[in-house]
Amino acid sequence: MSTVLEQIEQQIARLSTKAVKKNTGNIRTLADGVAKIDGLSAVMYNEMVQFPGGAIGIALNLEEDEVGCVILGDISKLKEGDEVQTTGRLLSVPVGKALLGRVVDALGNPVDGKGPIAAQETYPVERIAPGIIVRKSVSQPLFTGIMAIDSMIPIGRGQRELIIGDRGTGKTTIAIDTIINQAKINKVGLASGDKNFRPVYSIYVAVGQKNSNIVRTMAALEAAGAFEYTTIVAAPAADNPANQYLAPFSGAAMGEWFMENGMDALIVYDDLSKHAVAYRQISLILKRPSGREAYPGDVFYLHSRLLERSARLDGKGSLTALPLIETQAGDVSAYIPTNVISITDGQIFLETDLFNQGIRPAVSVGLSVSRVGSAAQIKATKQVGGKLKGELAQFRELAAFAQFGSDLDAKTKAQLDRGARIVELFKQPAFNPIPIEVQVAVLFAMQRGVFDSIEVKKIVPAAASLREFFTARKNPLLTEIRTKAALDKDIEAKLQAAVDEWKPTFNA
Amino acid sequence: MASGKKYVQQFARNLFTMSLANGALSDERVAGVLAYLEKHRPAQTMAILKAYHRLIAAELARGEAVVEHAGPIGESVLRDLAQSMTQKYGRPVTAVSRRNDELLAGLRVRVADDVYEYSIANQLATLAAAV
Repeated sequence: MSTVLEQIEQQIARLSTKAVKKNTGNIRTLADGVAKIDGLSAVMYNEMVQFPGGAIGIALNLEEDEVGCVILGDISKLKEGDEVQTTGRLLSVPVGKALLGRVVDALGNPVDGKGPIAAQETYPVERIAPGIIVRKSVSQPLFTGIMAIDSMIPIGRGQRELIIGDRGTGKTTIAIDTIINQAKINKVGLASGDKNFRPVYSIYVAVGQKNSNIVRTMAALEAAGAFEYTTIVAAPAADNPANQYLAPFSGAAMGEWFMENGMDALIVYDDLSKHAVAYRQISLILKRPSGREAYPGDVFYLHSRLLERSARLDGKGSLTALPLIETQAGDVSAYIPTNVISITDGQIFLETDLFNQGIRPAVSVGLSVSRVGSAAQIKATKQVGGKLKGELAQFRELAAFAQFGSDLDAKTKAQLDRGARIVELFKQPAFNPIPIEVQVAVLFAMQRGVFDSIEVKKIVPAAASLREFFTARKNPLLTEIRTKAALDKDIEAKLQAAVDEWKPTFNA
Repeated sequence: MASGKKYVQQFARNLFTMSLANGALSDERVAGVLAYLEKHRPAQTMAILKAYHRLIAAELARGEAVVEHAGPIGESVLRDLAQSMTQKYGRPVTAVSRRNDELLAGLRVRVADDVYEYSIANQLATLAAAV
């Protein structure tokens, strides 16, 4: 017992010789999660400050005679006059693989009841985006598992592709599908023992969402076996706006760890409209001047500095971003949508009308684009789906005219028939991503006119049957397509033979 | 004209500037400022006075090292502290002592916003937070 006491005394003696300098201030006013503080003359912008009772704040407004801090945590025990201290640290969150399979809050604290997170490192929440020299052009594909996207609007590793649409049009579903597809690819790739295989880890940032939605997302990922490769950063609607404002930056820091350490990561910001609203709330409470739609003047910078952190780095890894934006009545020309459209490398626009017609995913071909283009597409997809976007866009134009019921020439009729079949072929149930090799096989069949003799309303079951046929019986061929990533004459012959073999089995 | 809060802050800051003589706070000038306020009663006098008070208090705190201590403390220690703080901050700093038994042992020196902790209470609190 005396030894223990001696140890403590020694530690006290060691510590007591050290002088600790602190910069302090006092709470002048406290309202709406924001404290105005007297003092703190040495505080840095964005520095963490320590409030009594363990609450943490961030210094966001450095004024001549006061400091405005947003408080992260419980403010119920704080009162006017309480002493506040600087910490000398910028806000940081834990990073690393220990976060995979976990749900954390905006500060990286676990909220899933699975115990503490054994993270070895922390990264600052705010970081300067990688510069020009360290970047590499986006050329490696990131497969979403959604045929309409992988074949027409390909996404590459390191790209920022916006998913935009009204509420209830399937934006989150596309993001979740993409995460699930990465997990499926990871499992196949890691099992293959290929040393060059680069798994993609996912981070899903939920901003301002209902807790029930976050639970549903988690359940979908768990059911698909994707949760072990995913981290969820949750700042639900019940959280204070400061946490909602921080969550995407925390998620970006977690993703950057993978990128900096030679790995690939995918980050989904669901969604940046609510993020902008949370930031507007903070800015108004901090009495910052407001501009259009009462957003502060730096709301563009808020999103540009966040999304610029996604990149493909030379000699390192990549961070791909899928930000989501909710539009009102399909208006893509509103303030926040136009901001984010101009920042990202393309957008997937989801239309309510298409969704209601049963075309799901409701991707609008005309308004969707990937500015990286075919650089992020494998050759096999280009070979079988290179002209699809044009054909589908033409079909939409022609379909609009065909509604008037005028007589159509044979060529137009053929285009309409083909277009209707492509639309049906791209229908895909939620949480059911299709591997790229299967997509290639199905598109090959479409290109060769295999579906032309099948009734339009039976295209969906026919495509499902063909996919099942390939998966169950032509696995070596699929593996060949996956590994070679291009169709040579030999593979084309095998594909044609397989399709010919399948055709009689499908009862049209 | 500046908005309410800005107007108050600007006015108070101007009064504060007028209260300085050769960069140091002058009792006579402060008295003059107070007399002016009493006579002219500008809009929001109460708020201006409060803001002015805050600025004067902060300025006074900049020149004073409050030395909190649990045990006895000698005059020579206070003198040494005042000297070292004067040197550190590059302005005259006087030391005043204040007894605080909650420190258990050691010292706490406060100069304006800066706090230098040499106390056992603070070390114990650090230890407790680390465990």
